[in-house]
Amino acid sequence: MFMVARIFVELIAVSDPSSKGMHMATTLTINGETTSFDAPPDMPLLWVLRDILGMTGTKFGCGIAQCGACTVHVDGKAVRSCVLPVSAVANRAITTIEHVGSTPAGAKVQKAWLDAEVVQCGYCQSGQIMSAAALLAATPNPDDSDIDAAMAGNICRCGTYVRIREAIKHAANGRQS
Amino acid sequence: MSGKMRILTGFVVIAILVVVLGVWIIRGPGPLDFAGGAKVALADNRAGKPTGVPAKLEKASLVERGEYLAKAADCMVCHTKPGEKDYSGGLGFKLPFGTLYSTNITPDKDTGIGNYSDQDFLNAVQRGKRHDGARLYPAMPYTSYTYMTDDDALAVKAYLFSLPAVRAKPPENTLSFPFNQRWAMIVWSAVFNPDTRFTPDTSKSPEWNRGAYLVEALAHCGECHTPRNLGFALDNRKKFGGAITAGWRAFNISSDKATGLGNWSDADLISYLSLGHAPGHGSASGPMGEAVDHSFSQFAPEDIRSIVAYLRSVPPQPSPDLPATTAPVAPASHKDGVTADARGKMLFAGACASCHGWSGESPVSPMATLTGTWAVNDPAATNVAQIVISGTKRHTPDGALSMPAFGEAYTDDEIAAVANYVTARFGTKGSKLTAKDVAELREQTAE
Repeated sequence: MFMVARIFVELIAVSDPSSKGMHMATTLTINGETTSFDAPPDMPLLWVLRDILGMTGTKFGCGIAQCGACTVHVDGKAVRSCVLPVSAVANRAITTIEHVGSTPAGAKVQKAWLDAEVVQCGYCQSGQIMSAAALLAATPNPDDSDIDAAMAGNICRCGTYVRIREAIKHAANGRQS
Repeated sequence: MSGKMRILTGFVVIAILVVVLGVWIIRGPGPLDFAGGAKVALADNRAGKPTGVPAKLEKASLVERGEYLAKAADCMVCHTKPGEKDYSGGLGFKLPFGTLYSTNITPDKDTGIGNYSDQDFLNAVQRGKRHDGARLYPAMPYTSYTYMTDDDALAVKAYLFSLPAVRAKPPENTLSFPFNQRWAMIVWSAVFNPDTRFTPDTSKSPEWNRGAYLVEALAHCGECHTPRNLGFALDNRKKFGGAITAGWRAFNISSDKATGLGNWSDADLISYLSLGHAPGHGSASGPMGEAVDHSFSQFAPEDIRSIVAYLRSVPPQPSPDLPATTAPVAPASHKDGVTADARGKMLFAGACASCHGWSGESPVSPMATLTGTWAVNDPAATNVAQIVISGTKRHTPDGALSMPAFGEAYTDDEIAAVANYVTARFGTKGSKLTAKDVAELREQTAE
């Protein structure tokens, strides 16, 4: 975290949400619905989600794609919304934590998370669930190395990593805790 | 003359001939000699106008024309220390024999160029001669700017003089002996500065001549992309064959099909120059990123096309250390493909994979795709390490995409490990960087 904090301090300006660019009418497909709003084209998707659309389930962590708290799905893949300009996601399907429960992998992950009582403080967990759901959609039976490769970019300060790993395995096996 | 004297004179004559021949061999051809066509003085040129500003600015004020030309010559990047006022100097160029600082070229009378007459300015830009008669070091690319017309150079001066004067004195240079002897640059200039203005080539198209003027006199592409000779001047026998400058690799931009621009489409080149990105060729970072942001992205479209036409004509110059083709897309699963050291993989998984993907094709944006870029296909991994250290920000009309700088957060050892993993997974041949190599790369970056 120290590492991330240092990068964050250095680069906070990069993700400055007060973008100077002019506002443009933008249309995105979020959680299966078409949504239009005005935003500067370089505004990160995270700011659009939280500040313009009021979808606060996705969290701000580091602002430089190094903690995973802001993870959403774009075309089914887990990406960090804090560094993703809205201009880059037009015509692509965006899924957020608010809707991931309606996908098969997302539903399994959410259930496993509750069953295993993964969450401690919870701040990073939207991102953890989004990364885990994308992992299971692509790799239905992940081994430890698959979990490492997919989840390494999601940091949890409470240290719930052991329970996250267990829950992913439970979700994959469909087992109940 | 005695026999001894004759022998001595003979030796001296031979020695002088050897020196002259040596200098002549080292100097080699000029930057435009490859074209070989008949030259005509600018005043007698009837085919188009290779110098000056594009048509849309022909009627603009002197200052506006100067602004275009100053951007085309990319004066600002070297004459501005990051975080300081534009053109106020102080950027340090780290050389093996000390650090050289750029000067303040705002119109401040004490610390800038406020006292420069027109002739003083021409002397500096075209001849490397300072206001006080001292010589400039060739870090100031006056051997390129010497091809600029007086009119264009003075338009640049008018623009600079229209800017606010900034009082800022750059640090003293820290060059070691003998490089701290400025007078020696008189000799260097006599040998390596042609001190001549651009002359159009009548065998070429007006577009080519415009491109030649933009590339050689203004954009000074060769200063980074052409290797240097024994005298630290450009070796045009290997024109645009690529070189390392300020710790970054400026890749081959000759017309070589495998390792140069020969296989780039016109659309790719236009896109790379004006936006800093071409699909499948990666994004401009480091010094080229700055050149795009502050210079090429401001060029008129017809000027970009002229540059492309000219670049196409530069003879092929292979880079033997680069692979003939760049590596294809890596496997989608982290388990498949080259398995380099575990530490590099762990770092990549935590810090890089979410934007660059395990295949190298970015799930975020084509601008972050690694596949096909020379950076990951360079077995020396120079630019991979540099981008990891300093990050990058690519500006486009649709907004900016950025990668954070990891240089302060990760150790040299970690940066070496991730660069070795990235080149092995996404390139043709994995690099073998060590912590020491990374430390040396950090040392070379201008700041």
